[in-house]
Amino acid sequence: MTGFTLEVRDVTKRYGDGPTAVSAVRGVSLAVQPGEVVLIMGPSGSGKTTLLSMMGALLSPTSGTISLDGTVISALGEGRLPEIRLRKFGFIFQDFNLLSALSVLENVAIVAELAGHKRGEAREKATQILTELGLQERLRFLPEKLSGGEKQRVAIARALVNDPALLLADEPTANLDSAIGHEIMRILRRVAKEKGRAVVIVSHDQRIRDIADRVLWLEDGEFAEAIELATDPVCGMSVERAKATTAERDGATLFFCSRGCRAEFLGQLPTDGIDPASA
Amino acid sequence: MLLALRNLTHDRTRFALSVAGVSLAVMLILLLSGYRAGIYRQTAEYLDHAPGSVVVAQRGVRDFLAANSILPPGAAKAVADVPGVARVVPVVAQTAIVELNGRKELVYFIGYDPGIGGGPWSLTEGREPTAEGEVVFDRVMAAEHGIRLGDHVTVLGGSLTVVGLSDETALWIGSFVFADSSTIESLMRAPAAQSFLFVTPQPGVKPNELRGRIHVQGIDAMLKADVIVADQRLLARVYDAAIGLMTAIAFFVGVLVVGLTVYTATIERRREYGALKALGAGNRVLYRIVAIQALIAGVTGAALGTLLAYGLGRLFVAWRPQFPVTIEPTAILVALGVSVAMAVLAALVPARAIARLAPADVFR
Repeated sequence: MTGFTLEVRDVTKRYGDGPTAVSAVRGVSLAVQPGEVVLIMGPSGSGKTTLLSMMGALLSPTSGTISLDGTVISALGEGRLPEIRLRKFGFIFQDFNLLSALSVLENVAIVAELAGHKRGEAREKATQILTELGLQERLRFLPEKLSGGEKQRVAIARALVNDPALLLADEPTANLDSAIGHEIMRILRRVAKEKGRAVVIVSHDQRIRDIADRVLWLEDGEFAEAIELATDPVCGMSVERAKATTAERDGATLFFCSRGCRAEFLGQLPTDGIDPASA
Repeated sequence: MLLALRNLTHDRTRFALSVAGVSLAVMLILLLSGYRAGIYRQTAEYLDHAPGSVVVAQRGVRDFLAANSILPPGAAKAVADVPGVARVVPVVAQTAIVELNGRKELVYFIGYDPGIGGGPWSLTEGREPTAEGEVVFDRVMAAEHGIRLGDHVTVLGGSLTVVGLSDETALWIGSFVFADSSTIESLMRAPAAQSFLFVTPQPGVKPNELRGRIHVQGIDAMLKADVIVADQRLLARVYDAAIGLMTAIAFFVGVLVVGLTVYTATIERRREYGALKALGAGNRVLYRIVAIQALIAGVTGAALGTLLAYGLGRLFVAWRPQFPVTIEPTAILVALGVSVAMAVLAALVPARAIARLAPADVFR
């Protein structure tokens, strides 16, 4: 299944009512084309995960519409959403979320079985995808026996097994080292380009910007335009230069997500922990 | 099914504990119900083997084992004269506490005429009494007191010679001892006494019809089946509440064990179930996984519990033959049903926990 376009139009997600209401996402619009890799970045609490959840039919928007190839999925009832998620979307999670009691092969095949494939057929499909991702020697392994990169590759295979139109990845490199993180991103790009899937990635990780076709910056629930980013040298988060806390060292300006990270970098942290006022 | 099985067996210790818990509960339920069935069968054993299908007793007496019945003089003759009666077998029955080798025992004496019936139906050794002073002891009681054929036993001041040992005549509270009528009359100091009449209808006469025809002063005629039920009701008043309470406790222990196992297995994998929900598994699929886990634990436990109950039941009967354990096929079906009920109940709470999972939480 390829060639689907995801369209997010003027979507808002508000939690609570009245004066205590909090808007996590405000009037966001976005279209993702087949074969495109879109990276959504932004500080913590900017609404990235909420937006991703709504795009994946895991959460309903308070207002606005989300359509997949013309079908407004945000208007569908709760009973129909699992079927949409199963067949149209592939999810990749930060913590992998593999089923610990099942082998690598079973972890992937079970999702195909959920979509109605017979066990043998599902296993065949799963084996093929896992082999493509270089996991042919790991089919019988339990997740606990795999490295982080292998786990994330299994998660990608699981996301792909039902030929979804869209892959939605939440911080897919967060628990991986730099080299493995890049390998995972290259795989996701290859999936987008060779198989024509749209890939939407939510991440803090500046290092993966180069593989995205488009980078969007979400802040306070809204997309911001033309911002200059820097990486916090302490926590690795992407920060907006104009709003970041800074420090000078050896003539260079460094950007931090918080005063805590800055203090840590400068060796100014109190010995008994982080000063709550600066965190 | 596969995920349910793997989830359950991934932590083998927990699975083993849950199966052990259910099997102990099922074993206890089967042993208790087997014991109940056994004593019910014991209660009915004598009347089942007694001749005839109608029992005549003193007016107002409704049961056989617990009541003292003394028939009015001439009752046997009067009943024999009722049209449709083929045969009348009188017995004298008396319960007594006797002392054997320094231990008190409850004995149900049956005085009968060996020529016409009403005595023991299965002798393991010896013969029926042919003369006054000869008795047939229950083999279990005889073994407990070291009584052998030819031994002389002093009971209620009379010296009796053991000439036979009978089988299937032990009761949970004592046992039957058989002698000819004159021996029992003499022990009870009640010459010519008769307690019950076992009446056989002529061919073509229905027992109920015959019962309706017997109108003799001072007696009641009852169907033998009704007397058995009356005896068992009496027993039920003594046993059923206690056995029912213990069975209910065993059932709830089983539900708790399976419930706790499945609940902890579910809560531990909360995030995985959330991921499955996010990937597109509906609540129904997840309920099924939880229910199958509970069913596997329940049915495996039931199978093991049934085997244990059979084994322990046999050991128990070998150790204490007077306390029978009769595990009937229907009881096994009931145990299986009970284990399924345990599993269904045990799956309710984890299923609720799964229903509450929001798929978007998997990103948190």
